[in-house]
Amino acid sequence: MGVPISQMWTVATYVLKKRLKGETKYPLVLMLEPLFRCNLACAGCGKVQYPPHILKKELTPEECFAAVEECGVPMVSLPGGEPLLHKQIVEIVNGLIARKKYIYLCTNALLLKERIHEFTPSKYLTFSVHLDGQREHHDMSVCREGGFDQAIEGIKEAVKRGFRVTPNSTFFDGTDPNMVRAYFDEVMALGVEGIVLSPGYSYDKAPDQQHFLGRAKSRRLFRAILSNRKKSWKFNMSPLFLEFLMGKRNYECTAWGSPAYNIFGWQKPCYLLQDGYVDTFKELVETTDWNEYGTSSGNPKCANCMVSCGYEPSAVQHGFGSWSGFFAMAKAAIFSSYKDKGALDLLNNHGSFAAQHDHFVKIESIAPAAKLEETRA
Amino acid sequence: MSQPTVNVDDLEVVDGFAHENLEGWIPELASAADLKEALEKAFDYRGDITLTFKSGEKVEGYVFNRQTGTTLADSTITYFAANAPDKRKATYADIARIEFTGKDRAAGKHWEAWVKKYTEKKAAGEKNIALMPEALD
Repeated sequence: MGVPISQMWTVATYVLKKRLKGETKYPLVLMLEPLFRCNLACAGCGKVQYPPHILKKELTPEECFAAVEECGVPMVSLPGGEPLLHKQIVEIVNGLIARKKYIYLCTNALLLKERIHEFTPSKYLTFSVHLDGQREHHDMSVCREGGFDQAIEGIKEAVKRGFRVTPNSTFFDGTDPNMVRAYFDEVMALGVEGIVLSPGYSYDKAPDQQHFLGRAKSRRLFRAILSNRKKSWKFNMSPLFLEFLMGKRNYECTAWGSPAYNIFGWQKPCYLLQDGYVDTFKELVETTDWNEYGTSSGNPKCANCMVSCGYEPSAVQHGFGSWSGFFAMAKAAIFSSYKDKGALDLLNNHGSFAAQHDHFVKIESIAPAAKLEETRA
Repeated sequence: MSQPTVNVDDLEVVDGFAHENLEGWIPELASAADLKEALEKAFDYRGDITLTFKSGEKVEGYVFNRQTGTTLADSTITYFAANAPDKRKATYADIARIEFTGKDRAAGKHWEAWVKKYTEKKAAGEKNIALMPEALD
């Protein structure tokens, strides 16, 4: 397992304390977006499409610390936008480390090598580097040639300096599971702590609207990717969440498990959907009609979602909040190879994962050497 | 929320969302329902809106929140004016005119456009091909 024991202990005791207090709606990870500005322009991203005066705004360190303290989470994810564009990101990170929060700084790593000397290695700090596959896949995914090489340089430098590093991948319709497995080999060889992955979410503001995986295809894809695992692969995720992606277990969304805070306030209901904003975390929990969200609600915006921000908290709460979950988690850690002949067949017949839309045939035909499947975020 | 008519667990691929072209739209605000509908679209719009208030004040800004009450007087929008740092709030009842004046930032930059650009530049022998974020100034 890729997650350090100290971090698991912190999360486990946090969950147990909440359960002992009888709390049912508590967050695990704060998605703290200190800015929306980004130095990439990915077609599958629905996070950064704002007017310039909004993109210029940034949360102050004090606003970040107040949000973290208000919701009381043990872990903080710093997505964006690109956090390394934030003028005070070092101050924010250091302040969170001082508060003993486990931080995942989500970066495309274009600036990582340049700015890494400003940070100090800590068990609390992980650079979560956006990588959507091997070179050609990633570069097409982020709409920038050379993006992969810059990210890899950043990863190598961070690993060399003793930082925790987890490559973070999002997969869309048309992803070849064989490519993903080859990518796992490549990134693990760099010395990263573990891999983070997720199916893409169909942001309604994403410029590209045609390539989102449905749940059936997602499960088949992740079964093909994550079965018959190599011992060298480590994942910085709940093993039960990975089993959820593989279709081995079912969870309901815990939308309040990864609340989002940004320049607009606390986002209703979750990191992915924008149904409005409130001023406090308490208001978020108490005034959101949670029955309106999740697959069982019938809300079409939730129909294909299997994304970690909603479902990994469900898996973590199951794992640390019940004996059955704890044993399932222990079993997953011990028997982690997931031998599955059917999954091997899926890998051998990976044509079934081809994208549904015709123009992907055109993409492959324009660059046959690159084998461009459209895995991107 | 109505129950789903299809089993979402059986879906292979999910359709995206249809993008409504609102850039340049000036809705007619003949009734309270018109105003509510227009402000709901303004909330969803990823560009600036020009609001003209009944006081005569005109503000261009980004509407990022709305809270609907039982009347126009207790329904509010929250926005960032383009030329001011702080959040501002206004009641629906204060608003006289809405114009979708800002560029729709969620439009364009499609995957197909990127692939087309990539193909053309690659064929021309260019290197370091990329889509760049728009300039902020």
